[in-house]
Amino acid sequence: MNKIEIDHLTFTYPGAKEPTLKDLSLTVEDGDFLAVVGNNGCGKSTLCKTLNGLIPHFIVGDMEGMVKIDGVDTREQEIGSLAKKAGYVYQDFENQIVCPTVLEDASYACLNYAVKDYEARGKEALRICGLSSKISDYVWQLSGGQKHLLALAGAAALSPDILILDEPIAQLDPAHADQIYEVLKAWNETYHKTIIVIEHHTEYIAKYCKHVLLLKDGKAAWKLPAREAMRRTEELRGSNIFPPQVTIAAGRMVQEGMLPEDTTLPVNLEEGKNLFEGYLKNRTGCMRQSFVPTEGEQMAAFENVSVKYRAVKGKAPKILDHFNLTIQKGEKVALIGSNGAGKSTILKMMMGLIQPEIGSVLLKGRPVRALSKEEIGEIISLVYQNPEEMFIKDSIREDISYAMRVRKIPEYEKRTDDLLEMFRLGNLSGRDGRLLSGGQMRRASLAIGVALNPEILLLDEPTANLDIATRREVMETLRMLKGITDTVIIATHDMQLVCDWAERIIVLSGGRVIADGTKEQIFADLYVRNQVGIRPPQIYDMGRLIGIENPCFTIDEFLDCFRGECYA
Amino acid sequence: MDVKSRMTQSQKMMVFVLSMSLYGLATLFTELIPSFQIGIVEFSVEYFLFIPLTLAMLFDPLSAALGAATGELVFSEIMLGQFGGLGELEKFLTVTIGVYIAGRIVKDPRNRRVVAAASIIGVTVQQLMGCVVDILKVQFAVEDFEAVAGLPESVFFTEGFACLNDILFSGILFCMLPAMYLVPRLYGKIEPLLGVKPRDKETQLEGGVFTPKNIALILAGFAAAIGAELLASGGYELIDWEADWAGNSTSIIVGIIVALAVTAVAAGLIRSRAGRKASAEYRNF
Amino acid sequence: MHKLTDSILDKFSMDFLRNQVLKNAYGNDDTVIAGLDPRVLLIWYLFFGLVPWFINDVVLLLGLFLFVVLTTRAARIAPLVLFLFCVGVFTQTGYLLVMALFFGGDSSLVAPLLVMTLKVAVVSLASVTVFSGLDPDRLASGLLWFGCPDQLSFSISFAYRILPVLMEEFQNILLSYRLRGNPPKKQGLIGKIRYLGYQVKLIIQAFYPLMLNTAKRSRTTVEALELKGYRYALKNPGVKKMRLAMLKVTRNDGIFIVISVIWAACSVAASAAIA
Repeated sequence: MNKIEIDHLTFTYPGAKEPTLKDLSLTVEDGDFLAVVGNNGCGKSTLCKTLNGLIPHFIVGDMEGMVKIDGVDTREQEIGSLAKKAGYVYQDFENQIVCPTVLEDASYACLNYAVKDYEARGKEALRICGLSSKISDYVWQLSGGQKHLLALAGAAALSPDILILDEPIAQLDPAHADQIYEVLKAWNETYHKTIIVIEHHTEYIAKYCKHVLLLKDGKAAWKLPAREAMRRTEELRGSNIFPPQVTIAAGRMVQEGMLPEDTTLPVNLEEGKNLFEGYLKNRTGCMRQSFVPTEGEQMAAFENVSVKYRAVKGKAPKILDHFNLTIQKGEKVALIGSNGAGKSTILKMMMGLIQPEIGSVLLKGRPVRALSKEEIGEIISLVYQNPEEMFIKDSIREDISYAMRVRKIPEYEKRTDDLLEMFRLGNLSGRDGRLLSGGQMRRASLAIGVALNPEILLLDEPTANLDIATRREVMETLRMLKGITDTVIIATHDMQLVCDWAERIIVLSGGRVIADGTKEQIFADLYVRNQVGIRPPQIYDMGRLIGIENPCFTIDEFLDCFRGECYA
Repeated sequence: MDVKSRMTQSQKMMVFVLSMSLYGLATLFTELIPSFQIGIVEFSVEYFLFIPLTLAMLFDPLSAALGAATGELVFSEIMLGQFGGLGELEKFLTVTIGVYIAGRIVKDPRNRRVVAAASIIGVTVQQLMGCVVDILKVQFAVEDFEAVAGLPESVFFTEGFACLNDILFSGILFCMLPAMYLVPRLYGKIEPLLGVKPRDKETQLEGGVFTPKNIALILAGFAAAIGAELLASGGYELIDWEADWAGNSTSIIVGIIVALAVTAVAAGLIRSRAGRKASAEYRNF
Repeated sequence: MHKLTDSILDKFSMDFLRNQVLKNAYGNDDTVIAGLDPRVLLIWYLFFGLVPWFINDVVLLLGLFLFVVLTTRAARIAPLVLFLFCVGVFTQTGYLLVMALFFGGDSSLVAPLLVMTLKVAVVSLASVTVFSGLDPDRLASGLLWFGCPDQLSFSISFAYRILPVLMEEFQNILLSYRLRGNPPKKQGLIGKIRYLGYQVKLIIQAFYPLMLNTAKRSRTTVEALELKGYRYALKNPGVKKMRLAMLKVTRNDGIFIVISVIWAACSVAASAAIA
């Protein structure tokens, strides 16, 4: 039976010249787990908003064609009855939580629709989402992943038959991302909900989803079973979607004639193992050594630092506990660890925003405590996770030049132009940063961050919330930093970024450094991997699984093992 | 005015939420920024009224005004426990009226002069109403107000001066200048974020500022404000209090009983007023 | 004077403020006062918020004052709120006293002003007890029962939800200004005034990005509210009934009322005896 039927849907936002959705037709079966993929701005979110009645009931615009849920036109249903059929979790899910406590928020919708057992419904939804222990907590006490689960519980409490999630794991570490998908799987299999996710993490699509819908320029290009969809590597990459690395690797091997033409491409490790094992020629792999910096000038140091949260109630939890760390000049450091391990705290302490309770933080040998904020600003620069908070002026040019202008740096105009040029922002310079696309925003925030030529640059989650194409763009941008700022510290969950960029990896857990070394050392350490739930790129695990001795971090390195040669 | 307005209900709600959270946050700070005095001139950051003023000039004035008043009530009064009971209704209404008037005056947010004039008018209206109410309040709170030497003058002077001071100091520094800076800057940028068309000839509000209906509404609001304040600080008018009753202990007991009666009346009043207000003013949301 | 801005930005750091406000709202939900029925407390507040205005007897006022001091203690109010209360009460009457003396008043002023201060203090402490002692959800339900518009009770609970988020954002924006800006030196009187002006200007300018960022947020929030049936609930009186069903008058409420009445009666008796 079809749960959703969309018939020649065209939708134009008010004031827009082009329709966002163009003559789109689609059917979704009851009990499906559908991933919607596509370029930025191809209409994924708009499509989802037509399903829960926000379009056309609240977002006025031109809507032609028909959307039917359970065989009834959405235009003929009230928003109330639609909300009971389709629950929606936003990409900026934080803003969708409207009550101060967990249980209240989970049962809020049920209460509003006058469902008698609203509390029980809320509790049940929280239980399925794994938040039973948090029922009486306040929302601000939750971590990012828990907030996401709460938003999901809030949408699911009304027990709609359809759950729609917009980029559910964009900001999560792998362990929390797994958790979200396990919860979704439970909703789908045990509670028979139809799940629709907008997702670009193809490994998750391959593992959990049943079907994939590719949207292209507001039209449905195709809808296929998930595995089959993942094998269409060319078409996906045409839309800036990157299939699982094993699939890409196999695809390239077919192209290069290392695998027969009619090979069915693998989409996960197990299939990959079965396929690749027979063709492996070189078990050693490439022998490379990551750059190990010599003892350089000490830029920043933590000496026996302990710090606590300010608790609203009860005992204050410790974030850092007798923490020691030294950063040398020229290092490219990745700080990794699960959500809440203290990464942001470390960055904030280096900026002097949080003072240590015990111990001291030194910048170039001087305690941060003794420096004024403005002095700190000249040594070190922090690019926030949320670039919107970096934009304080009404144009990017103003934002970049602000710090130089108020410090009366000679020829600041010229340097601003140079930076605009360098970060490819020239034709955007008059725009407000907030109104740019995700990738442009990151570039602009980096340009702002390096305007004062800081000696140390700190980046907090520079790739969170970005699709994979934009992530690559950010990585390119990071390479542009060469020659401006050579000491860079990044707090991140993005292991691809870590592998491609970092020279030193510091793993945090429970307020301590539990590992510190090169990527080869860190990823080989299974204890550390399990402890903090970090996960190397899929291709690394693939290499290990089929017995390649030296680790592969990129597809090229992996392919070399099948060529029987090694370019070291 | 709802008839021709181009904003949908949910857009008005967005303006309400926006104005409430931002102004609420700002009032939280102004509660905390201590005032300082040079001679007898008190420089206090009375309020950051430029926030709702800006929003009222860019979006639906009534939603912005109600949002601001609610925000102040909730964030700075209730959250910090500074709630002054019924008297808060006075501030609620005067802020609403002041912001609403200012928002209605502006037809083109890009015109800095009109923005400046409108914000000063808004502040002046709000302050004058507040000042009148405050003077009446002390008059009723202090027994034999006229008889205490120096008190009436000092009250008139301090209140009058505070009012003037607020209009000139807070009004110019914290309302007019920021509004002039912000309104044209935000114009055309903030509207798309809410999915609203910027205010222009086609979308501007119908009718003038001082239509008879508006004036009647404003006067009624002001009367309600005075009434609420007086009720809060005395209730003399209501129960025809004779001054010479006070002073002996039996009268105090009687007084308490009467006060309880007033309490009941007040409870009823809140109920009906709130009910009416809910239906009349909040209907938009 | 530069201490002033320092105190806003450093000691009264956003973190501290946020912590205090949250502490005040939620940190004391296990006190006796927080456990009482909000309706009982609101009626109690109507009495203690109104009656003192009628009374001019110092002994009786002192009696009531002592009682509200005790209830404030029982409610475990955050220090910041109490500090604000003191500042509020004393600046109001102190200023009036100075001005009245300036206009030729004499010692006869002190008595009526003292009485007025006491009145203000009793009323304010009663309000602190009720409005800070209750957690916002219960307070909102109580107000709802007395017929306040649903929008107000929604606003209260939403305010507590959004406050930590807004503060963090504001803090980050201010920080962007501080780290990238270059404030004037604060030496000398003129320097200090300039520095102060700079800080104030900065706070105002910070609202430009904050407004835009909040606008972005509020769109999602309002859409989500629509989906969660917020408007639907406004039209349906049954929802209100369900929300209020959790309010129950318990034995503790009875005890609280009895103590209040006895205390008030004793105060009256004491004042009569002394008179």
